[in-house]
Amino acid sequence: MQTRRLLCFALFPLLLAFSAAADEPKPTPDNTISIKLDYEIKPQSFPRPLKFFVDRVIDRSANPQPMRVLKERGGVFLDKQPTEIVQQALQETLQKSSLLASDAASADYVLTVYVFHFGLGSGLGTEYYGKVDLNVVVKDVKSGDTHEVTALGTSVQGAAVRKKNILKNIEANISEALESALRNFLRGTKLRDVVSPTEEKSSETPQARLDESHIGNFLYEGRPSYA
Amino acid sequence: MHRISWIIVTLVFLSATWAIAKDQPKFKSIEVKHFPNAEGVELPPEFSDYLYAELRSTLQKKKLAEQFVGEDEVVDAADALNSVILEGSVLEYKKGSVVKESLIGFGAGARSLRAHVKLTRRGNKEVIVDKEIKVRAMARWDPKTLAKFLANSIAGELKHSD
Repeated sequence: MQTRRLLCFALFPLLLAFSAAADEPKPTPDNTISIKLDYEIKPQSFPRPLKFFVDRVIDRSANPQPMRVLKERGGVFLDKQPTEIVQQALQETLQKSSLLASDAASADYVLTVYVFHFGLGSGLGTEYYGKVDLNVVVKDVKSGDTHEVTALGTSVQGAAVRKKNILKNIEANISEALESALRNFLRGTKLRDVVSPTEEKSSETPQARLDESHIGNFLYEGRPSYA
Repeated sequence: MHRISWIIVTLVFLSATWAIAKDQPKFKSIEVKHFPNAEGVELPPEFSDYLYAELRSTLQKKKLAEQFVGEDEVVDAADALNSVILEGSVLEYKKGSVVKESLIGFGAGARSLRAHVKLTRRGNKEVIVDKEIKVRAMARWDPKTLAKFLANSIAGELKHSD
């Protein structure tokens, strides 16, 4: 009697674990999506020719299953790791714009990309919302200085009920979010500020030019005080 | 007979021209910025990113601009004059009350959000829109519904701006 009771206690958690595992969706060709960039991203033009090298792409999402983007409705999975997708997309974009260096030694800047979010954000009802959040550490090879550049890409597609449409919308969402994030990084003023130091930057407004020339300070100091 | 056919051709031409003019985007580019929360506003942490995404998506659907520039992206100097920056902040958020809504009704106890919205021309810093917008939703609904409603209201304001 005692042994039977013990056996029941031992088997109960095992049964629970098995039933939970049975509910877990598995990747199949029908529920797997492939993320590709639909449109070419044109990076900003830099004052001098530059070369970037993508050193590493590191997952910082703290997601135990980074390839699973949706658990409900039989699950939706990515065909590759998010880090691999980001690395490939970034390298392709830099390559097309002739900004990719063949190795770290020949590059002007070495990029280390941290992926903070890749996939779906919490959307509204049946509407899916794609979000790609990156943090890129840009290292100047010559000086060794590092700077962080954040990039965010989002996308909201229409609501979907049928599985086929859910897959289509999620794929479009994540692709568009990735594209926006990469564009945000490559066309961002943060990257411009990192790669072109302040003295090289041409000021856009007359006030900024005045501030840079320090004439304003001189005038201010020279002005009599009425206080 | 000949006269009627000429009138029909003219009408078709005019309606086609009107349709083309209607579809033309109002701005060259729009840069949407994240809306920060004012002090004391307690919204879910993902609300800001969702509102940003919803705003971009709604403005794209309404075809208000040719290009949708991400936050802090570089814009060509030639496009700057007809490009705008949309920024704002969430001033107030009321969670609402399901009990009040059920007992009183008529909008009492509704979830609401008040935001300040500012649309500035990139080239000459001219302020095109500067106003507060308030949106309401049922207290039972997800707070993100307010983001959707706010995005629609902002898109409407932008469409009818001078």
